[in-house]
Amino acid sequence: MREYFGQIWAIAAKDLRVELRTRERVAAMGAFVVLTAILFNYAVDRTVVHPRELAAGMIWIVISLAGLLGLGRTFELEKEDGALDGLLVAPVPRDALYLGKVLANAVLLVGVTALTVAVFALFFQVRIPGNPLPLAGVLLTGTVGFVALGTLFSGITAGTRMGDTLLPILLFPLLVPLITFGAAATDDLLAGLPPGESAYSLRVLAAFTLVALTAGVGLFRFIVED
Amino acid sequence: MSLRTVRWAGVVLGFLGVALTILFHWQVFFWVPTEASMGIVQRIFYIHLPAAWVGFFAFGLVALCSAVYLWLGEEKLDHAARAAAEGGMIFTTIVLTSGPLWARLAWGTWWTWEPRLTLTLLLWFIYLGYFLVRSSTDNLDRGRKFAAVVGVVGALNIPLIHMSVYWFRSLHPQPVVARVDGPQLHPDMATTVFTALGAWTLVFLSLFLFRYAAARLEAYADRVEAARLDPSRSPTPEGAIVP
Repeated sequence: MREYFGQIWAIAAKDLRVELRTRERVAAMGAFVVLTAILFNYAVDRTVVHPRELAAGMIWIVISLAGLLGLGRTFELEKEDGALDGLLVAPVPRDALYLGKVLANAVLLVGVTALTVAVFALFFQVRIPGNPLPLAGVLLTGTVGFVALGTLFSGITAGTRMGDTLLPILLFPLLVPLITFGAAATDDLLAGLPPGESAYSLRVLAAFTLVALTAGVGLFRFIVED
Repeated sequence: MSLRTVRWAGVVLGFLGVALTILFHWQVFFWVPTEASMGIVQRIFYIHLPAAWVGFFAFGLVALCSAVYLWLGEEKLDHAARAAAEGGMIFTTIVLTSGPLWARLAWGTWWTWEPRLTLTLLLWFIYLGYFLVRSSTDNLDRGRKFAAVVGVVGALNIPLIHMSVYWFRSLHPQPVVARVDGPQLHPDMATTVFTALGAWTLVFLSLFLFRYAAARLEAYADRVEAARLDPSRSPTPEGAIVP
């Protein structure tokens, strides 16, 4: 068990180290978030609708799109110099490889999520609740679920001619539960409702994340074989 | 099952299906009584509902065949999953065209975010992804595995998508046929629905068997071609039954 977690961590640490040195994905996703928020400001007539009213939904849409941008690169990274073959001959079970990738992507995307919320708070005066833990819980659960599904599918799209362009077609129909309940819980928490109101949404988000992780662990070996 | 049996079964089921399709159209247009509150437009329901059932059944079949294919690696199961997905695509398309036609007259709008409508649209897109993944992968074997993974993950998420779309209040008529206390329908209406359901289940199964047989022949043709280029490989195991 210890060894297994060590393997997961080794894979994640490798990806994070690459990211720390190149800073490519972080820069792309971070800039994307800020620029989308700027465009959003001009897309909405502020005399008619206050951006704060749309904030919860927009936060989740921005996280999904920024995440898409970053996740598409997960396996592109390994294409150069046959790095993926190297990973596959390493004495690491396939599901540890998947979980390592998920962990690294989750770390990146949690950062992007925090940035998104901060940007919305700064630009659109979205009030962060006094006790931010329930909101953080909702965002974290949803982000991990998104990454779990996205990492599995980016493994698929990396093997197709269409590449990244295929990722939203595979991913978005399945994100409906995430967006529905994620945005609903976020909206309630930003409006200052007691956390108990969002308990149901959080449970569905947790179920989504669990299903996504289980599917990934069980199915990932079929998409990297050979 | 030999390919010959599969094709014969397809022919028989196809003829029965087409005959029943003609019968239920006669029922819909000339025989069944007009529903009191919605009027003539309600007759679309006899096309819409069975198509939805068959579409969902097909999707279940795709998920089942995909999962067992990943488990056993048997090529035939992938042919079956693909054949079911093609049939499912046809029937969900029927649902998505007949639904808005009815809704325009009954609800006054072409589209509404009604749970079952939304779920069917999402299913349609999951099928689309299923085919795109397959067609955009150069390595045939990998494409099959990719598609199977998409099919299984899609099916695993259906309950959650179902929950989400239902979370918004439903505008859709509540179930009238699949109820615990038996169908709440005029007996003639029930007869028409079940004729239509039988007809389209048979049409689906027939298309499914034909596409399955075609996929196996394609795979055989590929093996023959490979054997021609490299004589050390034999085009078996289906050589014996192919003319």
